Amino acid sequence: MSCRRVVRRLSAYLDGDLPAVEARAVAAHLGGCPECSARWRSLQGAVAKLGALPRLTPSEAVVARVMDRLEVESRGPGLALLFRPFWAARPLILPSLVPAALVLVSVLAGIVALQQDGQRPATVAQRGEQWDRRLPPSGTEGNPLFPSAGVSVPRIRSRGVLPDDALAAMGEDSLFIETVVARDGSVSTITLLDGDSERARPLLDALRSDRFEPPRYRGRPVAVSIYRLISRMEVRAPLT
Amino acid sequence: MSKPSRVGAEVVMASGEVALRSTETLAAGPSAESGLLEQCRRGDAQAFARLVAIHEAMVYNLAVRILGDTEEARDLAQDVFLQVYRTLGRFEGRSTLKTWIYRIVVNQCRNRQRWWRRRRRDRSCPIEDLSPADEARVQSGAEPDGPYEAVERRERTRRVQEALLGLSFDHRAILLLREVECLSCEDIGEALGVPEGTVKSRLARAREALRQRLAPLLDGEGRT
Repeated sequence: MSCRRVVRRLSAYLDGDLPAVEARAVAAHLGGCPECSARWRSLQGAVAKLGALPRLTPSEAVVARVMDRLEVESRGPGLALLFRPFWAARPLILPSLVPAALVLVSVLAGIVALQQDGQRPATVAQRGEQWDRRLPPSGTEGNPLFPSAGVSVPRIRSRGVLPDDALAAMGEDSLFIETVVARDGSVSTITLLDGDSERARPLLDALRSDRFEPPRYRGRPVAVSIYRLISRMEVRAPLT
Repeated sequence: MSKPSRVGAEVVMASGEVALRSTETLAAGPSAESGLLEQCRRGDAQAFARLVAIHEAMVYNLAVRILGDTEEARDLAQDVFLQVYRTLGRFEGRSTLKTWIYRIVVNQCRNRQRWWRRRRRDRSCPIEDLSPADEARVQSGAEPDGPYEAVERRERTRRVQEALLGLSFDHRAILLLREVECLSCEDIGEALGVPEGTVKSRLARAREALRQRLAPLLDGEGRT
């Protein structure tokens, strides 16, 4: 058998896979050919070195990690995605995007809504949560603004004549009154929110003739709603 | 008659429950394996934990020798068992469970190596950087040797591993399955998805490639 044929059969010879006749021929050749014999020993040595590599064991039990990951995955694809390698994560990306997109849309909608609220001053109609597209425009007498950033508190220009008996009739009651100051500075409506309406009538009549500096928002006159608490207190001289 | 294999593993479930503790004797063999598989298919977490405990050392050792990186091998071992868990229903039993797991390991190593070469070179933990604890585990079971012999042995192991990593992926995988894991050519064919004849011819070329790479080491030892 030639050297070339022997070299081609060395691996099978090592495994004992050669038919008996061929195996004897290879053995005979190796006994008489120093080059093939050296190559045979070299091959045996290389394979033995590989087989003698020490077996390595993981520093911590793989099983605990695997069971942890299985539990995390069983909770839902979103969390599992964090723990999976890139190529294994692809099948889970789409279902995870759906809740992510919903959260994103909710946050964006919230931001837009808050910005709109910040631009529009509060109005009476909004306070009552009766927002309706058919309401008069904000800042008019039918839908006045509240004093706030950009909307000044109306300053009184002239007071109505208050009869002497108006205060006397009040007794020691307190009145809580809402006044809508119109865009021209006059009193548009006046409403008694708390107090005796009969006793308050002369006072309310007097307040209706008050005149204010026209309140403004961004340079244009607007109607503004203000609230006043009016009390009468009789002050007596201290007893000596 | 197959010999029972002793497997030591401590499995702590995520819930804090200790599922499998201390050393356990498991009867190896087709009936025990099919029983364990059946339990796993029914969703028995403890049975799956036992399956992992039985095979984790073999998976890790093959992965670390193919990839040459301990961190990567640890991650890969987890991915292998997760894939086993997910695809257990598709295992038809035409090969042994061990051969099927070897196939998953080799495929995952192939995928990971492609990806890893491109992205994670900087984070590698090469096998030659084994910690003293790793080294102690490697030593366990081997005869104790002196400091000089230990250094020599480490150097010899490093050079063999280096030669192995210098081979192509196919050559490395087939050599490890044959010479380290001691699989038959038929089982290697199952694990690699190639005919037995291809296994034998590829094995012959891989052995020759390894012989050439280890020639300096073998020559040096021959002279001393």
